Amino acid sequence: MALDFGILIQVLFWGLYAGCIYILLATGLNLIFGVMKIVNFAHGELLMLGAYITATVFVLSGFNPYVLIPFTMFVLGLIGIGVERLCFRPILGTGKLNEIFLSLGLIYIFQNGVALIWGDDRQVLNSPYQTISVPIGDIQLPLDYIIIILVTALILVGLYVLLRRTDLGRALRATSQNRKGAMIVGINVERMDMISFGIGSGLAAAAGTLWVVSGQVFNPYMGSLPAIKAFAIIILGGLGSIPGAIVGGLIYGIAENGAAYFLGGIWKDSISFLILIVVLIFRPTGLFGEEGE
Amino acid sequence: MRVEKAVLYRYLTAIALGISVLLPLLAGMSFYILNVAIIMLTLILFSSAWNFLAYSGQASLGHAAFFGIGAYVSTLIARATGFPPFGTILFGGLVAAFIGLLLGLTCVRLKEWFLAMVTFGFAVILQVVIASSLAPTTGGWDGIGSPRLLPAEIPGYLAYEYYAVLAITVVSILCIHLILRSRVGLAFAAIRENELEARASGVQPVRYKLLAFTVSSFFAGVAGALEIHHISFISPEIFHAELSFWPVIYCIFGGLGTIIGPILGTVILTVVWEGLKGFGLTYARFVIIGVMLILVVIFLPRGLVSLPEEIRKWKSVRKAPLGPDKGSDR
Repeated sequence: MALDFGILIQVLFWGLYAGCIYILLATGLNLIFGVMKIVNFAHGELLMLGAYITATVFVLSGFNPYVLIPFTMFVLGLIGIGVERLCFRPILGTGKLNEIFLSLGLIYIFQNGVALIWGDDRQVLNSPYQTISVPIGDIQLPLDYIIIILVTALILVGLYVLLRRTDLGRALRATSQNRKGAMIVGINVERMDMISFGIGSGLAAAAGTLWVVSGQVFNPYMGSLPAIKAFAIIILGGLGSIPGAIVGGLIYGIAENGAAYFLGGIWKDSISFLILIVVLIFRPTGLFGEEGE
Repeated sequence: MRVEKAVLYRYLTAIALGISVLLPLLAGMSFYILNVAIIMLTLILFSSAWNFLAYSGQASLGHAAFFGIGAYVSTLIARATGFPPFGTILFGGLVAAFIGLLLGLTCVRLKEWFLAMVTFGFAVILQVVIASSLAPTTGGWDGIGSPRLLPAEIPGYLAYEYYAVLAITVVSILCIHLILRSRVGLAFAAIRENELEARASGVQPVRYKLLAFTVSSFFAGVAGALEIHHISFISPEIFHAELSFWPVIYCIFGGLGTIIGPILGTVILTVVWEGLKGFGLTYARFVIIGVMLILVVIFLPRGLVSLPEEIRKWKSVRKAPLGPDKGSDR
């Protein structure tokens, strides 16, 4: 097989775009993990819900779907806070297995609740820009994908500013570094739990919106696999490390699309787990993970 | 009159066994009930196998892998050689156990989510391998037919099949029970509670963890082979995440780390599941199961098995107004 340079660029670009969705999911998961030390395996269901809410509002109102991102993020942020208050707070500190079990319950509720409301058919949304593509050299890059990459970058910069430059961000980081210490200096850690869960859910909602806008099919079951991969990413990049999540997300996006192109589409999902297993055999705590976590 | 706990358990076991032996008669040889009961028995075995692994502190989220391996190996051998499925089930279990040992070797250093992710990923990868690379032998996504446990020509074959599955399940659970009650079970519990202390008192965690993985995979493989020989069809769908989640849900529901838990959980959830189907619910029954699961995790962390105890505790708190408040017994 002759390696065409143009195709390589295309695969990289696709990977970058797919990586964006993983990065948003993984960053959210990581933020929640950092503050609360729990993992929500049902994180992908929030992405799915975000996708459905955006699609519904788009069909009803006809707004540009990109404009809807803040709205969907806000709605999902509220839902996320509700989930945290009702489900995760009662089991905080009762053992790591309980989180997995609780998430399983949430997965069932969200998936089938959505299927009850919207039906479980596969749906597609048409973005207003889907016919436009930007030529770079002799490669055509769809405009939507470029916007998605820019939007993701914008959200990440926003998150960076929030975490580094505001009091709230400092409180969040303090809670994630040392919960007891944060309590001592007067931070309301339970409020931080809620906020981190809300922000994480909002990021998942943004990922869901971008998923829909890019013209990929969506159905109630779309969220589980991306979420589990996002979790694989944060294991790969180190639990609690947001730069690790970004690097891991990019690696996964590119590896998946490379595998789909070179090995066949069926390998797309399994390559990420293959990477994970190989990494964990040699480094049981992840690439950048600390001992004892 | 206060009955001794052990005696009570013995009576309850006897009653449960009696009901399961008489079930075909009680159900009037109903095709539907027998079908549900057979599937339920295989799932009981499957969740007991999962529970066995969890007993050693390792929670797998990809046990469908071993369920599927057992089913595929047994089916392929039975098809290729014409052996009766009763013999090939054993090979299915053995191959599953061997692969479980290999996966266990990679998982021995991993904990909690790390382990959950690797096992989950293993099932995903296996599905792809079976559906694509091994498609010439496994039939790919289309799946292949699997020989029935008993030929359907025998009159009342379903009842015989039921008894066969019942016998295998009971014997397997008895084995699991005996292992967990022995020194090995104690070692598992020690590792689960504190690996470092276990090692300090002379228990070798690696050896016991591998043993748990191997035995658990064996029984999961047997369960898979039984179910597939009953359904008489197999496709890579068997590796679906859903099937990995069911044993987890059953065990939590019934009570993790007990022999009776997985059985109780499977029976109750199957009855609820089929009952809700009777009401014509489709998606809503998943939602109901999800809500039940969350309620159990939050309010009954040790599963339904602990319900009588919890009620007693609650009552005694109510009786004695000056007694310990709810927060102090944590």
